Amino acid sequence: MKIFRYFSVPRTTIAISPISKHIDEDSLVASLKNKDSHSLDYLYDHYSGALLGVVSRIVKKEEMAEEVLQDVFLKVWERMDTYDPTKGRLFTWMLNIARNQAIDKTRSKEFSKEKKTGDIDNFVNRIDNEGFVEQPVESIGLQQLLKTLPEDQRFIIDQHYLKGYTQAEISEEFNLPLGTVKTRMRLAMKLLRKLLVE
Amino acid sequence: MNVEEYISSGILESYAQGELSPTERGDVEKNLRLYPELRKELAIIEEAQEALLMSMAIKPKASVKEALFAKINAFQPEAKIVSITPGPTLGLWRFAAAASVMVALISSFLAYDYHGKWKKSDANLTQLLAQNQQVAQDYNKVNNRLEQIENDLNVANNPDFQRVVMKGTPNAPTALAAVYWNATTKEVYLSVQEMKALSTEKQYQLWAIIDGKPVDAGVFDGDIAGLMKMKNIASGATTFAVTIEPKGGKTSPSLETMQVAGNVIKG
Repeated sequence: MKIFRYFSVPRTTIAISPISKHIDEDSLVASLKNKDSHSLDYLYDHYSGALLGVVSRIVKKEEMAEEVLQDVFLKVWERMDTYDPTKGRLFTWMLNIARNQAIDKTRSKEFSKEKKTGDIDNFVNRIDNEGFVEQPVESIGLQQLLKTLPEDQRFIIDQHYLKGYTQAEISEEFNLPLGTVKTRMRLAMKLLRKLLVE
Repeated sequence: MNVEEYISSGILESYAQGELSPTERGDVEKNLRLYPELRKELAIIEEAQEALLMSMAIKPKASVKEALFAKINAFQPEAKIVSITPGPTLGLWRFAAAASVMVALISSFLAYDYHGKWKKSDANLTQLLAQNQQVAQDYNKVNNRLEQIENDLNVANNPDFQRVVMKGTPNAPTALAAVYWNATTKEVYLSVQEMKALSTEKQYQLWAIIDGKPVDAGVFDGDIAGLMKMKNIASGATTFAVTIEPKGGKTSPSLETMQVAGNVIKG
């Protein structure tokens, strides 16, 4: 009877089970490089929300952002063997791919056509208005978290992470020296890491 | 390089945000390899950024994931799954492979073993055939000899054959021979007890004297064994004699070379 029970367990169950838990980055990277599609499943479930957030804040159009998100994961999957862990975390690497893909999209013909039809901010504003965040910070809401930052630092974080501006763009747009933007960004990150990580 | 200053310049944050030019990125990557403190600092920045962006996540619709995986599966049809979970088929193949290797090994050994045994048997058979041939030859030889002796005995025991002893002449005092003669059938057999060996150019010649005239009864060499059949001699022979003649014999005897002679005893 034991034997029959053993065979009746689908193999996929064994492979899927660790996905619901947290798996450490080294083994995740290893199995992604090995083209294990289960690890891609895990990667998507874990990071698609954060990346769609990043992409949406740049592209600002839901359908287009979702298109970009697909392209981002395809690129991550295809280029996994070029990822070098000594140059940064996996998420940082994906984040840069996502930002570049999103920026490329804003430069496309398709995007400039859409932009003219207006109504750009509605989708991104859902974060503020409807509490649409479905993969939230464990205990503390984003708004409360950002409120704890000094006003000038919060502004930089808002512009960069919520509005999708680069530091150089912030400096230009708001007539701030780039050095000042960098310093405020650094101080804000220092404070955030304390609040978020510790 | 002052690591503290480098960190407080905020370049690591820009690096983590992907805002550096390729040249600047290369510099940072080089410095990351050189200074472990920078790697540590970068990791902290990355974790903070990750946590922040996670808190600002927007969950995509389920259809996005479905479409993505449909695309990926279309590009990569299951190829990897086989290598990750080796199924029972692979196990069976592995077993089959192992089994065929075993069969091959055993067959090779048996082939080698039987080849050795066959070689040995083949050698034995060749030897036995040679022995068999030798035995057959010996048998034939013995058989022939037996037949001859039987024949000789028949001649010697047959009362129709008259035995004529030929004693040595002064030319060869120790020589001794005999003739068995059947006057009815005219058969003549010669038996040599002792006669000296001749040179190759010469032969002995047997003569029968009939009505005072010598009649040729055939030539022979000195070393005959048993009885030797000679030419037929008609009845009326009174004496048998042997002379030495050139090889092949002559029509008339060289009487001065006479070796042995004996008279037919009447009665």
